[in-house]
Amino acid sequence: MSGWAIFGQAVVVLVGGGLVGLFYRGVDRKIAARMQARIGPPLRQPFLDLGKLLVKETVIPKTAVAWLFSAMPFLAVLASFTALLYLPLGPFGPVLEGHGDAILVLYLLAIPALAMALGGFASGSPLGVVGAQRELVMLMSYEFPLAVVLVAVAWRLSELGLAPAFSLGTMAQNPLWGAVGPLGIIGLALLLVSLLVVTPAELAKIPFDIPEAETEIAGGLMVEYSGTYLALFYLADAVRTVVMAGLVVALFIPYGLAGRLGLSGAVGDVVDLAFWLFKVLLVMVVAVTTVRVGMARLKVDQIARGFWLRITAVALSGLLLLVLDKVVMG
Amino acid sequence: MRAEQVLAALSRALGEKLQSYELRPREVGVSKKWTVEEIWAEVPREDIPRAVAALKALGPLHISIITGHDAGEKIELLYHLAVGFGTEGGEVMVTLRTFLPKEDPTVPSICGILPGAETTEREKIEFLGVDFPGIPRRDHVFLPDDLPVHPWRRDEPELEKFIRRMVEWEKDDGAKS
Amino acid sequence: MERNPEGENLEYGALEEVFEVPIGPIHPALKEPIRFTFQVRGERIVDVQIRTGFAHRGIEFMGMRQGRNLIQILYLSERICGICSVSHPIAFTQAVERAAGIEVPPRAQYIRVIISELERIHSHLLWAGVAAHELGFDTLLHLTWRVREKVLDILEELTGNRINYAIPIFGGVRRDITPEQYPRVWEAIRYYRGLLEELLDAFLRDPTVEARTRGVGILEPKEAEELCAVGPTARASGLRKDVRQDRPYLAYSDFEVKAITPADYGLTPVGDVYDKIVVRLLEVGQSLDIIEKALENMPEGEITSFPKIPALLAHLKKAEGEGLGWHEAPRGEVIHYVRLVSGEESPLIWKVKAPTYSNLLSWYPMFEDQEVADIPIIAACIDPCICCMDRVYIVRNGKEETWTKEELLRLSWEKTRRMRR
Repeated sequence: MSGWAIFGQAVVVLVGGGLVGLFYRGVDRKIAARMQARIGPPLRQPFLDLGKLLVKETVIPKTAVAWLFSAMPFLAVLASFTALLYLPLGPFGPVLEGHGDAILVLYLLAIPALAMALGGFASGSPLGVVGAQRELVMLMSYEFPLAVVLVAVAWRLSELGLAPAFSLGTMAQNPLWGAVGPLGIIGLALLLVSLLVVTPAELAKIPFDIPEAETEIAGGLMVEYSGTYLALFYLADAVRTVVMAGLVVALFIPYGLAGRLGLSGAVGDVVDLAFWLFKVLLVMVVAVTTVRVGMARLKVDQIARGFWLRITAVALSGLLLLVLDKVVMG
Repeated sequence: MRAEQVLAALSRALGEKLQSYELRPREVGVSKKWTVEEIWAEVPREDIPRAVAALKALGPLHISIITGHDAGEKIELLYHLAVGFGTEGGEVMVTLRTFLPKEDPTVPSICGILPGAETTEREKIEFLGVDFPGIPRRDHVFLPDDLPVHPWRRDEPELEKFIRRMVEWEKDDGAKS
Repeated sequence: MERNPEGENLEYGALEEVFEVPIGPIHPALKEPIRFTFQVRGERIVDVQIRTGFAHRGIEFMGMRQGRNLIQILYLSERICGICSVSHPIAFTQAVERAAGIEVPPRAQYIRVIISELERIHSHLLWAGVAAHELGFDTLLHLTWRVREKVLDILEELTGNRINYAIPIFGGVRRDITPEQYPRVWEAIRYYRGLLEELLDAFLRDPTVEARTRGVGILEPKEAEELCAVGPTARASGLRKDVRQDRPYLAYSDFEVKAITPADYGLTPVGDVYDKIVVRLLEVGQSLDIIEKALENMPEGEITSFPKIPALLAHLKKAEGEGLGWHEAPRGEVIHYVRLVSGEESPLIWKVKAPTYSNLLSWYPMFEDQEVADIPIIAACIDPCICCMDRVYIVRNGKEETWTKEELLRLSWEKTRRMRR
């Protein structure tokens, strides 16, 4: 592919990803509202919110470390959008790929969280500092199960002789469900569960929204952000939601619809893209919307000690079952 | 708990320091009549802790509030206490009345006996300028720490000025705008 | 918001350093202005200072010293608090009736009881929703507040208002409950009877609610007794302390009210936030019982002993004496003391005690060694009513200087003028 073609694709994916991210945020809010017996905002509300934030004054507190404070929103947006480029998009492969891109995506997903934490520390507000500390504790707790899931899938792929194993493209083209035995299926299911639990944590949504925790620390690491900077974080968050859900889809439900319906060519691609978007939405609704509607906010020690130990154990036993499956079934 | 018991305990503890007392029972209820007992007693200020301790020895003690009043020469304080909650109609309302001279408005704190009295004692410090030796915290509850006046004193020249200034200023400026 | 003086040099050792987290006077977890200054090490609270008075309006002063007559003060007392807006008038009318020797007809007593129990239902549901919101459980907030609408509708039906009902007056009540209103009240009772189990289930058997409230903000029974806690705050610690039971008033002795503690739900009282939820939700059921009994046994007759207001005012002006009036408001004991002197329209003394005034001190032991994450729910668990408790006209901005109302007013007028140009 020529450089220009890649550039063109990248622009389409980035713009499309941003739009889809914001639109899905609207869907999320609408569904949550309906579940709570409210009417909820219109679907275009996130666009309006973003527009409004962009025209608002951006305040940098006197006590903040100004350069760090202002750099972080850009870093968060940059990292989230870059992650989009490495995501397999249904019928289309990722725009960019290379050896080990799965690991790169993992880092790209962690960077916005780190950026928010640094921004919180840099804001000079005690509430921001508390929020940032919480974000770091969370980051340490959920990155490990997330890594376990990726490693397990990649290892199994490499055992099948598929290379490059640490590539989301490879993972999406070779769903493992059909390639393993019954033990492996249970193992994969456990991995899927742990990934679905990690999803709201990665996105800092209830019950894992402790770094922001409106009623406790008034927005925590976001407390001093306003105007454009807040808009950037808002956008980064919307895009991260798509990336995270896309990751779940790529790892565990990469199936297309067009082949089954006997469609091919452009029509098939359109159908598959639509189906992919639907799957991303489904993952978001299951892992984020219903969870945040149905639960109270947990505390940091409940998440770090009680909860994550269990999720790590679930992920590790998934890995173990996959290994056993390979050893037993050959 | 009956009013007689409470009264006996008070007179045992205080002797003739129980300067005067009065029972004011009240009839309540429509189909099931009940009499709720109230005791109103007058006690010298230095004996307030002793009286409260005697009441506390009788059963669970609750302080509702201390009412304060600037009675000209003196400051009147009314301790509204309730003895013996936990059973139906089992509580007796005891009001201890005491007078403090204006030149020395102090009365021993009862926080040592009943820690729950702190808020209301602190309120009297800021509103009436009464002092309670022995109170653990004396910072203001409701008013700014640097407010120069005690709003419930009736002989505060500053207070009148304060309010007049506010009201007149409002009228004055309101007319202009 | 205050700035932390050490905030700028917080480095890696920050987790072990004690730093100051200010909550309030304006904060999303607080529905009314109050300031907590927490000394925090990591996520643990080491110490707390509480500063109140941001909403002090000087209501007692307005009543005693500014020439209002007792009926005007009655409506003033109603505006001490928007949520317990019938509790203060009930205590105040009783105090004045006691001082002036006025009798209240039985039917009026029953109507007062019914309105105050309806108010308790709406207040407890309001609290439950706020508590859920503090826990980050907004779904429960929306659901409880939706079912709360029913009782507000009934209150509007009976009194004409959703809050500030203006029902009690010296010597009786201002509105009767008409025969056609009974079925609607009954219907609301059935509605809540059916919902109560569901509410208990939603709050008490939810694992996340339990995880966030069990063992949090414990008030030991001994502390509750010594600090003179009142209302559900005291009862959650296992104290059987309820003014309706201990010192009956109005027609409450007819209903044989028993103070509710978590023991009535088969639990050992711990005094934590969970127990406070238990007590408040059970009290909704208790209020339904009382309203039912009151509706069934409602005596016939007059609703006031002074149908004519001028006659009432004339009687009150002649009256001389002192009296106490009390009431178990949704949050606990309300008590009013009034002293009348003959020939004066205003009372010589009017002292108001709202429940939060008594529960203020309970916050100190409850916050001890808790986590930052628990601050909102502990702050909320006594169901604080700051405007009730704060009653003068001075606003403080949290710094050394004092901003009086006149200065703020001048500032705001100046701004209005600037904008007009």
